[in-house]
Amino acid sequence: MAVPVSQMYTVATYVLTQKLKGVKRYPLVLMLEPLFRCNLACAGCGKIQYPDHVLDKRLTPEQCWSAAEECGAPMVSIPGGEPLIHPEMPEIVRGLVARKKYVYLCTNAILLERKLDEYAPSKYLTFSIHMDGLRQEHDLAVCRDGVYDVAVRAIRAALKRGFRVTTNTTLFDDANPERVRAFFDEMMTVGVEGMMISPGYSYQKAPDQQNFLKRKKTRELFARILGNRKRTWRFNQSPLFLEFLMGKREYQCTPWGNPTYNIFGWQKPCYLLQDGYTRTFQELLNDTEWDRYGTGRNEKCADCMVHCGYEASAVEDTFGSWSGFGRTIKTTVMPNVQ
Amino acid sequence: MTDSKYHTPEASSLEGRVFRPATANELAEAVELAFDYRGDVTLQLQSGETIEGYLFNRDSTGVRPSVQIYPKGSQGIRQVLYAEVATIAFTGKDTAFGQSWEAWVAKKSSQRRAEAQEATAAAKARGHL
Repeated sequence: MAVPVSQMYTVATYVLTQKLKGVKRYPLVLMLEPLFRCNLACAGCGKIQYPDHVLDKRLTPEQCWSAAEECGAPMVSIPGGEPLIHPEMPEIVRGLVARKKYVYLCTNAILLERKLDEYAPSKYLTFSIHMDGLRQEHDLAVCRDGVYDVAVRAIRAALKRGFRVTTNTTLFDDANPERVRAFFDEMMTVGVEGMMISPGYSYQKAPDQQNFLKRKKTRELFARILGNRKRTWRFNQSPLFLEFLMGKREYQCTPWGNPTYNIFGWQKPCYLLQDGYTRTFQELLNDTEWDRYGTGRNEKCADCMVHCGYEASAVEDTFGSWSGFGRTIKTTVMPNVQ
Repeated sequence: MTDSKYHTPEASSLEGRVFRPATANELAEAVELAFDYRGDVTLQLQSGETIEGYLFNRDSTGVRPSVQIYPKGSQGIRQVLYAEVATIAFTGKDTAFGQSWEAWVAKKSSQRRAEAQEATAAAKARGHL
């Protein structure tokens, strides 16, 4: 099992509590973006194109803690930009851990080995390493040679010191399934706790037939990658989300499950789309016209199958009914059974 | 997972354009363009004051629609009512233009190498490598 029992228990009790309270929209993972500055310039990355004076802005530790408390999600994912550039990141993480949040610190790992001393191993802290495939694919994706080797070295160093380490991988339609499977083997050999995968987000104006084919193509890709799954592979995400990626089940997007907070405020409606910002989490929940977003409702959402929209939907499915819970158990134990 | 790749066709950029809206609808449209723009804009207000900065938010609803800007070279956020805006100029570099994955793939490998080296040098200069 990739996710520790204590974390599963925390998430399960949190979700069940929300359901008992009758809360319709609840956050599961806070996407906390403390800065947009990065030390890579990956081609096509939609997160780092801002004027320099905006890239120089950062959330303070107090703003980060306040956002975590305000939204109340049991897990906090810290993407960016590159979080390890933030000089106060160790303090931010310490504060979140003290609040018993399960923190996924997403990093390209270029600075990780150098910064490990500034962090303490904890069940609440996971370094989530950006790895988009084997050496060739990853270095191409991040537009810099040598990054894969640096990241693998950093993963090994972090594991040696007792840190929890996972990988996060974004896959596009041009991915080679066999190479991705070989990458999974490699990461398991390196010894990461689990892997997270998601299709990348792409959006083309003027929806046409090709857009529908794109979603179909994404499912075919993931069916080929995750079909006949090896027992040795461990994934640090909902098994039903993986089934969704393979086209085995349908979900509607639940963007409030992964609310995003950054230097602009609470982002409407999700981590990927920027339709405006609110000052408070409650305003985000109240003021966002949620029905305008999701598959079949918005052209920008037509192709999206990204984790930040659909993983919370899969978790909701797990805890929404006994049959959902049963499906989750079955998929976890027997991932290759139809 | 921090990647969200732009696959949007990039025919042109608004960089350098100036909008002088004549009606409330034109103003609302210009504000939307400025909100989507990944560079600084310069607002000239009816009072004659100019504000250069990154327009990151707008609220077009309600009685007093307004925009929010991070002014360049100063701390804090400036809120400006739509009614105060006379012109919107796209004065800053469009940082997203030409940054799509397709644009990168289409470049010659020498050009890609040069850009990668430039990005590495910039990160080193800031002490981020």
